[in-house]
Amino acid sequence: MMFNIYNIINNTPMVPDQFWAQKIFYLHVPIAWTGFLSYLIVMIAGILFLKRKNIFWDHLGFAAAEIGTLFITLVLITGPIWAKPIWGTWWTWEPRLTTTLILFLIYIGYFMLRAFGGHPERTSRYAAVLGIIAFIDVPIIFFSVRFWEEKYQSHPQVEITKQNPEIIIPFLISLVIFTILFVFMLKYRLHVLKVIFDR
Amino acid sequence: MFYTLVRKDLLLEFRTKEIIIPMFTFGLAIILIFSLSFNASQEINHTFSPGLLWIIILFVSSLGLHRMFVLEKEFDAFTLNLAAPIDRGTIFISKVVSGTILLLIAEIMIIPPFVVFMNLSIPSNWPIMMLILIIGDLGIMSIGAIISSLSMRAKLSEILFPILFFPLVSPHLIACVKATNYWFKGIPFINWQSWVYLIITFFIIFFLVGFMIFDFIAEE
Repeated sequence: MMFNIYNIINNTPMVPDQFWAQKIFYLHVPIAWTGFLSYLIVMIAGILFLKRKNIFWDHLGFAAAEIGTLFITLVLITGPIWAKPIWGTWWTWEPRLTTTLILFLIYIGYFMLRAFGGHPERTSRYAAVLGIIAFIDVPIIFFSVRFWEEKYQSHPQVEITKQNPEIIIPFLISLVIFTILFVFMLKYRLHVLKVIFDR
Repeated sequence: MFYTLVRKDLLLEFRTKEIIIPMFTFGLAIILIFSLSFNASQEINHTFSPGLLWIIILFVSSLGLHRMFVLEKEFDAFTLNLAAPIDRGTIFISKVVSGTILLLIAEIMIIPPFVVFMNLSIPSNWPIMMLILIIGDLGIMSIGAIISSLSMRAKLSEILFPILFFPLVSPHLIACVKATNYWFKGIPFINWQSWVYLIITFFIIFFLVGFMIFDFIAEE
């Protein structure tokens, strides 16, 4: 991770019209990718838990939801920091931003359901159901906001394939490092959940 | 069996009026608060009213949904329901249908005072609006019935329900508000039909998901 930050600061070119603001993109996009990957895992774990009733899938769903929400929170913080100098506004009600915010709110509810659900077995089942519904909601939110907001903002993620290798390589390194970080976090959180469960 | 379940819900409600009356009174109270806090001209009211109408419907529906499922909790009626030899998906469908009927009745009572207090003029092609209301209510009730049944047995169900329900229903609300807005401005249906399709899609997806997943929610 230290190497990644060093690499981003020193070895990436300055984009002419964005300067330092553009550097956050090497962190923001991999964080967002990891966040959404976590939520996808929550949904898959939810389906498998409902099907197999194995507590491992419940733990996986819970751990992924926690890490996902941490990353999505970071996305919601780093996004406006980039948007202010580039778009001239902290926030705009645009598909990606709105979808991320709504998903974040749903997952706050998810943790409340986990905390106040009552019977543990039932709570696990309900959380699995909510994880599935939340992910199904994502494309619907995205398209409804897309229809709703006619004017379109440019997103650096979309134009990534058009960038030169000087930008793409550090970006991919960052992406891989964040994914590895996610896998480690997930592994340790799963272990902790298992220890708590076995006690 | 489906008919019996819907009849049970409606009969229970028509005898006690525990859901409709609070829904209507609450709706009226929100209209009052809106009218007083904005105190705007007719043009501004016209701009805001589609959004306000759907906010009122959402609040009122959340009140009704919560009450409907709390009723099931009393005397453990829900467990008895589950013990009956019927497909659990049928229980879900019956809840959606009876909830929609109750919400429509509440809307019929709420919309006239809304029009009067907000000083609105209604466009002539109101059958389309009826369609938007019916499908919109079905969508709200589909997702609402899933969330209600998830939160009903939780410790803080009355708090948990709106926290889960409002973000999940937001894309549906956007579509309903947009469609109502176009209708309100008198723009021909052909220009904004995609919004109605979006409302229908939302309803179908969550109706099917609810039907499939209710088995797992309703397990003891």
